[in-house]
Amino acid sequence: MDTQSLTLALGDATHAGRTFDVMPIAGEEPVLQVIVSGAEETPVYITVTDTQILCLAYLFDEQELAPERLNELHENMLRISVPMPLSSLGKTGQHYVVYGALSPTSGTSEIMQELVTLAENAIDLLQTFEDYLA
Amino acid sequence: MRTVLKKILTAMRGGVNELGEAVVDGQGNRILEQELRDSEHELKQAKQELASLMAEAASLARQIRTEQDSAAKREDDARKAIAAGQEDLAREVAERIVGHERRASELTQTRELLQQRIVGLKDRVQKAEKQLADYRRELQVVKTNERVLRTTAQIDTNINSQQSSLSTAKETLERIRERQAREEDRQTASAALEKELTGADLDEKLKAAGIDGEQDAVNDVLARLKGGNANP
Repeated sequence: MDTQSLTLALGDATHAGRTFDVMPIAGEEPVLQVIVSGAEETPVYITVTDTQILCLAYLFDEQELAPERLNELHENMLRISVPMPLSSLGKTGQHYVVYGALSPTSGTSEIMQELVTLAENAIDLLQTFEDYLA
Repeated sequence: MRTVLKKILTAMRGGVNELGEAVVDGQGNRILEQELRDSEHELKQAKQELASLMAEAASLARQIRTEQDSAAKREDDARKAIAAGQEDLAREVAERIVGHERRASELTQTRELLQQRIVGLKDRVQKAEKQLADYRRELQVVKTNERVLRTTAQIDTNINSQQSSLSTAKETLERIRERQAREEDRQTASAALEKELTGADLDEKLKAAGIDGEQDAVNDVLARLKGGNANP
């Protein structure tokens, strides 16, 4: 599965009543932005490597958070990460992200499931952790 | 692996990699890849050597058996010669037996040395395989890390060039709330429409006005029963 065939597969597909708006992100790396219907506010980004399909959504940046509550937030993020379906929490650069990795042999339906879950999880997480924003 | 993970964390904490620069620099990456190739090469060589040693050991075992079989067979011959009073012939056969036995013992010694080398080589193969798996895992971590950094840098530049900036979490939350409110409105509206279509809304209004058809019917039956009139 590469980003090109993903673009083609997701363009006309529906999954659990959702549709997908796919847009390639220009640059050296093959990156797609996918907007899941009903969760448009949290776009999911996909990149495909030899070993995995990596999907991630941005939650918030470090500078948006109340510094004095950072430890508490981190603790809560670690705890919530385990039971959250198909997604984990992480940080890359200044961005706090929710992400999921799939095997490169995954089919379209697994990928769509991941995208829907990730976009919905991102919304739930944002609303859950809203209190920690500065 | 531990070293790689620590390097990544140190670089991240230092904020060196905000722009997606390689954590373990290109050089380090190439070294890892070279180590991986060396390991693969060594493993392949060790496996080839192991295979040929094992073939050699099997061939030696065959030769030893042949010598032992020959010695056994000649012992029969020697006994027969002695029985026939052919002392000279028996001696000649005995010399042959000694030759077979000597070769069998020499071959056995060689084979034992070979077995030791095989054990050592198997150990080397196992170690190389483990090393290879370690290198692969390390390289995967390093490459994935670089990929994530480059990917996020690419997303940020792209979105920054399209919009004024990445939307903040607060703006996103605002948009989520607006959509959720719209969805709720839609649901309320469709529930109201549903009621209108089934007449449930009218029933509710009548009930609110104290006009309840169901209640009236019950009251009628009760009144009838109290009146003792079995046949209305």
